[in-house]
Amino acid sequence: MPLTLKDIANMVGVAESTVSRAISGKPGVSEETRKEILKIARDYNFKPNKLAQGLAKQETHILALLLPGLAEGNYSNMIENIEKIAEKAGYQVILCNTNNNLEKEKSYLNLLEEKRVDGAIILGGGIADQHIVNTKLRGNDNIVLVNRLCEEILIPTILIDSKYGSYLATKHLLNLGYENIALITGDSNDYIESEKLNGYKTALNEYSIEFNDNLVHETKGTRQAGYDSFLNLVDVETPPDSFFVTKDLLSVGLVEAIKMGGYFIPQDYPVVSYGDTIINSIISPDLTRVVEPLDYAGEMAAEVLIDLINNDKAEEEIKVLKPKLLTSESTKII
Amino acid sequence: MASVTFENVTKRFGDVVAAKDQNLEVQDKEFLVLVGPSGCGKSTDLRMIAGLEEITEGKIKIGDKVVNDVPPKDRDIAMVFQNYALYPHMNVYDNMAFGLKLRKFPKEEIERRVNDAAEILSIEPLLDRKPKQLSGGQRQRVALGRAIVREPKVFLMDEPLSNLDAKLRVQMRTELSKLHDRLQTTVVYVTHDQTEAMTMGDRIVVLKDGYIQQVDSPLELYNHPVNMFVAGFIGSPAMNFMDAKIEKDGDDYYAEGFGAFRIKVPDKFKEELKGYEEKRVVFGIRPEDLTDARITHDLDITEDNSFEAEVEVVEPMGSEIYLYLAIDEHEMIARVDAESDAEVGDKIKLGVYPQKMHIFDNETEEAIF
Repeated sequence: MPLTLKDIANMVGVAESTVSRAISGKPGVSEETRKEILKIARDYNFKPNKLAQGLAKQETHILALLLPGLAEGNYSNMIENIEKIAEKAGYQVILCNTNNNLEKEKSYLNLLEEKRVDGAIILGGGIADQHIVNTKLRGNDNIVLVNRLCEEILIPTILIDSKYGSYLATKHLLNLGYENIALITGDSNDYIESEKLNGYKTALNEYSIEFNDNLVHETKGTRQAGYDSFLNLVDVETPPDSFFVTKDLLSVGLVEAIKMGGYFIPQDYPVVSYGDTIINSIISPDLTRVVEPLDYAGEMAAEVLIDLINNDKAEEEIKVLKPKLLTSESTKII
Repeated sequence: MASVTFENVTKRFGDVVAAKDQNLEVQDKEFLVLVGPSGCGKSTDLRMIAGLEEITEGKIKIGDKVVNDVPPKDRDIAMVFQNYALYPHMNVYDNMAFGLKLRKFPKEEIERRVNDAAEILSIEPLLDRKPKQLSGGQRQRVALGRAIVREPKVFLMDEPLSNLDAKLRVQMRTELSKLHDRLQTTVVYVTHDQTEAMTMGDRIVVLKDGYIQQVDSPLELYNHPVNMFVAGFIGSPAMNFMDAKIEKDGDDYYAEGFGAFRIKVPDKFKEELKGYEEKRVVFGIRPEDLTDARITHDLDITEDNSFEAEVEVVEPMGSEIYLYLAIDEHEMIARVDAESDAEVGDKIKLGVYPQKMHIFDNETEEAIF
């Protein structure tokens, strides 16, 4: 059975509070007693009970991570990094899948209101809704948004400039001489997907190429949707000469459809995808893709949140990170 | 455009009452200011209109529709706070437009709304700029623009200017008032700053501990506060309050300050004082309604409208002087003309403009007049 504060107190013959002060380095303990207590703690490998410490300070050392869905492969690295930073700082992370359902989101935010977690990172989604705004307005400051916007108030936010990523991808194809670039996206109600459409348009505009609505396919982001999109898009009046896909599962379906049609990538249709995910990395040929600094975004979100929890004067900021383009075989014309 | 109505609205957070049986009608196109000290429940009122807080009892209507169960997004309101988020990588246009984009408004409609809002706010030349290229006032306008593009029936503003420096705050006050004239929309505005309330509101609601104290135009609040709280809260420096009792001498009534002063009550207030004879009351007089008798030209100083007090501090403000005075245990401030040469330690005679005096019930703190 592990040693408790009480055990050490009995061994040394002092009060529990004295042992607690000695171990946490607080004043009010003579040097001699402190040394004696610390020696016993070391000898018996004493570890303070985080939960008990938290109860005393009304802290739980638990962070909630609200996710819009578990199918988002893009987020797994980010989640790992959030957990890594949290663990280092003595926090555990609980995953809360909201499935983009506002009522579920509200119930998870209640964990914060009821002080059952010390802070929350809210990942993705559309606009910060009433529950998030109200949680913050009620004085629960320990909230960090990732890739989610808020119209009314400032909540510390980490954003990845996916418009810029999409701009880079489109520009890459334009630089290679392609002008009829098909864009296959997810739900444009999602902020990130709508930003990708914006980036695509910005690049076309920069190259004085008129935006053609027929070349844009908004889908549910599934593998099947990627497959179907190819079949639909090659049938339009001015068919595409290249593809930019904003989600990895869409890439799988698209590449399958292209190959099934007997076409070659990149010779017939160069393809650019979005996200440096496992799925994108195993597609053949190797895909040119937009790489987002997700690891860094995760680390940053956790660091910002932990700072908010522990520092009353933590600065509330919006930080924007830029993606890069990784060029590979799917756009390499020999 | 719409009115907002509170019918017996109560809000409780556990045992804490944030709004108690409130009745209020914000008229269509009115600029209504909710003012009160911290914790008075003004922000809660705003959030209840927005639908961010559910109400415990009563009804809230926007226009003719009871909105108790209508979610915020369907209430046709837009909120503006002091602490808004401008996204550094988006230009002004996108910072104003993203909400509409995400709500799937057609592109042409978004363009029209953003351009209209930019024109109203005079920020058309800034639409391509990024937030860091803007001044504090321009940023504030972009935040307002984000609310304007929603074309709400009611704007709800919670201390939107409190982050700005003093000079900009004064400038933005005027701009917001002009904006209200142009938009012709109902505005409910929360502030703790009574000067902001007085300068901006068509009407002002003074709140304390969740209770509505008074709803009136700025001048009515100033001239006819209904109780000591409103009297003390509105006006700067605050109204002087001094313990007194009512004396009747023949047909005349006097406010007698236990030897410190004896001011005759104007005839028009006599009726209100019936029944208060020999009773304790609180005598209230605003600093600007006291005058240095030596330089008073518009009042015949007599025994009935003056008293002596000792000058403790002299604070010259340029156009006027604040005198901090003491008389027995009473302390008071007088805002006198800059001509006054009163010095610390002087015992000077102060004139009281009798029509401006206020008498409050000692127990209830309600105004007798």
